[in-house]
Amino acid sequence: MKPLNKLTQGRGKKLLAAAVVLVALIILPLCIESDYVKHLLIMVCLGATLAMTFSMLFSTGLITLGAAAFYAVGAYASTLLVMNAGLSFWLALPLTLLAAAVLALGFGAIFVRNAGVAFVIITLIFAQVVVLAAGQLDFLGGWGGIIGIPRPDSIGPIQFTSKLSFYYLALAVLLLTALVFQALYSSRIGRAWRAIKLSPNLAGTLGINPYRYRVLAFVIASIVAALAGSVYAHYSQNITPDAFGGWLSIYIQLYAVLGGLEFYILGPVIGSLVMIFVPEYLRIMKEWEPIITGVLLLVIILFFPGGILGTVKDPPGLSLKKFHSLYNRLKTGKKLDKSS
Amino acid sequence: MSLSLFVQLLVNALTIGSIYVLMVLGLDIILRGTKILNFAHGQLYMLGAYVMFLFFQALHWNFLLSLALTGLALGLVGMLIYLGVFATLARRFTPTTTFSYRLLLSAMASVGLMMILQQGTLLGFGTQERGIQPPFPQIIDSFGVRVSLMRLAIILASLVICVLLYLLMNKTSLGRLMRAVSYDPEAVTLQGVNTFWVFVFCFALGSALAGLAGGIIAPVFSVTPAMGQDVIFLSLLVLLVGGIGSYRGTIAGGLLIGLLLSFGFQLLGGVAELFVFMLVIVILIFKPGGMLGEAAE
Repeated sequence: MKPLNKLTQGRGKKLLAAAVVLVALIILPLCIESDYVKHLLIMVCLGATLAMTFSMLFSTGLITLGAAAFYAVGAYASTLLVMNAGLSFWLALPLTLLAAAVLALGFGAIFVRNAGVAFVIITLIFAQVVVLAAGQLDFLGGWGGIIGIPRPDSIGPIQFTSKLSFYYLALAVLLLTALVFQALYSSRIGRAWRAIKLSPNLAGTLGINPYRYRVLAFVIASIVAALAGSVYAHYSQNITPDAFGGWLSIYIQLYAVLGGLEFYILGPVIGSLVMIFVPEYLRIMKEWEPIITGVLLLVIILFFPGGILGTVKDPPGLSLKKFHSLYNRLKTGKKLDKSS
Repeated sequence: MSLSLFVQLLVNALTIGSIYVLMVLGLDIILRGTKILNFAHGQLYMLGAYVMFLFFQALHWNFLLSLALTGLALGLVGMLIYLGVFATLARRFTPTTTFSYRLLLSAMASVGLMMILQQGTLLGFGTQERGIQPPFPQIIDSFGVRVSLMRLAIILASLVICVLLYLLMNKTSLGRLMRAVSYDPEAVTLQGVNTFWVFVFCFALGSALAGLAGGIIAPVFSVTPAMGQDVIFLSLLVLLVGGIGSYRGTIAGGLLIGLLLSFGFQLLGGVAELFVFMLVIVILIFKPGGMLGEAAE
């Protein structure tokens, strides 16, 4: 009994919860029949990974609208390496990440010099440039995109042919990202990022170089986005430039804001889960979906700025007492109506 | 390249450029006055074109009257948007709220608005293109150079609007107030000015400029729900190149983009847009705050 006792306290409690969630995540898809729901789960994993990269830059005080850019870079680089150079997916992946890192370092060094509004705009424009380049340049497949991208080669007995296997691959990407990011946030680097977010100048006087730390965050975020992109390309087996358009970046930051901006890891996961599944079940009115999404976004920002997790953790002025008095008032009000 | 083609491309460039100048002046006034990066600006431009269609094409009112009413109508829309959405949002902020958080939330709110306005127009009016009969269909033909009078009228109208805006911003007390608010709202409040209505006016003025841009260009381009999306990316780019908070920079940037697009499409084809983007990145390497902008922060 003793070890269990220990597990239900403090740190142990968290570990236990994490283990339960992990097991649930692994078992859950086995109980699901529908391939479509599995597809949505895969997209949730990829979306959450991308939203985490947004949160990482936000933790340094930068707002990026260019997460989709490196998602596209990852997808196209991996596709070209596999299809044109004939490499195995597992060999192309590290090369893709390396290419993304080099690109991110080069562009990040330019972009990060423009903080604030300018950074938002320039990353959005960069995302647009990547889409345009993919569409206009012939060796990248043009607007028609690239079709017939091979699935990753099997490692030993594990084959990547079913939706289920891709779910586990995407889940592995998500969990790995979460672990690495959590380690970063609790390290000296993460503390430096938070200091920069509060005040770049103050951080500067403490011996933290805001520029370098922000470029570092940009590079890490871009590598992870490229990783997600690479998995996406080999999962969907065809990529078109439009799939990486400006809307995607906006949706990615929506996931992070909806889940809760102060929750760098869990926020994106909850946000993408809600944003991908809820509109699917509102399918009946497909053409109304953007309006509903827009209204939802406005309601969250105006009335629940903490996002879902922030609201759950800290309900805004909705204490149990208030709720009780409201309930009582409604009850008595109803009685009055009936008697009159 | 013949002289005729050159002049036509030049006029074309100035037409496109002047639209971008109006758009970006509006974006800039909103951004500096209220600290909102308004992604719904393209949709306000589109609404402007639709309102123009209503007044000029459907009701057959005078062109200038329709244009002025379009500006007023969009100013009203902007005012309602600010009072309904952004004022509620601003009430949430405390002096300790970081700039990046304010910027993010207001930008996200404008994205929500963008989606609602975009899809609402699509559902309301359908995808079909609507044309507006140009009020000046004549072609000026002199020395073998043929130029559309409508496009010249557009350039002239934008110029007049720019001059009026300059007078408003620099020669009136309201303009002085707006500039003061964009510099330091707290200090203006300490002077006993109710800054709230200055914010409202900044947002309304910016929206009116977007509406005017849409209304002016409507007789040349067809009016579709997608027109707002197409224009917003390049407008943001002009804002960046010209430098946030610089009127001269905005005008220079808008005209530069117009020239690059007009001549680029003729000479290079579809790659021109890519080329423009690349050029912007090069400019930003050497001038992080834009061509004529102040500090980037």
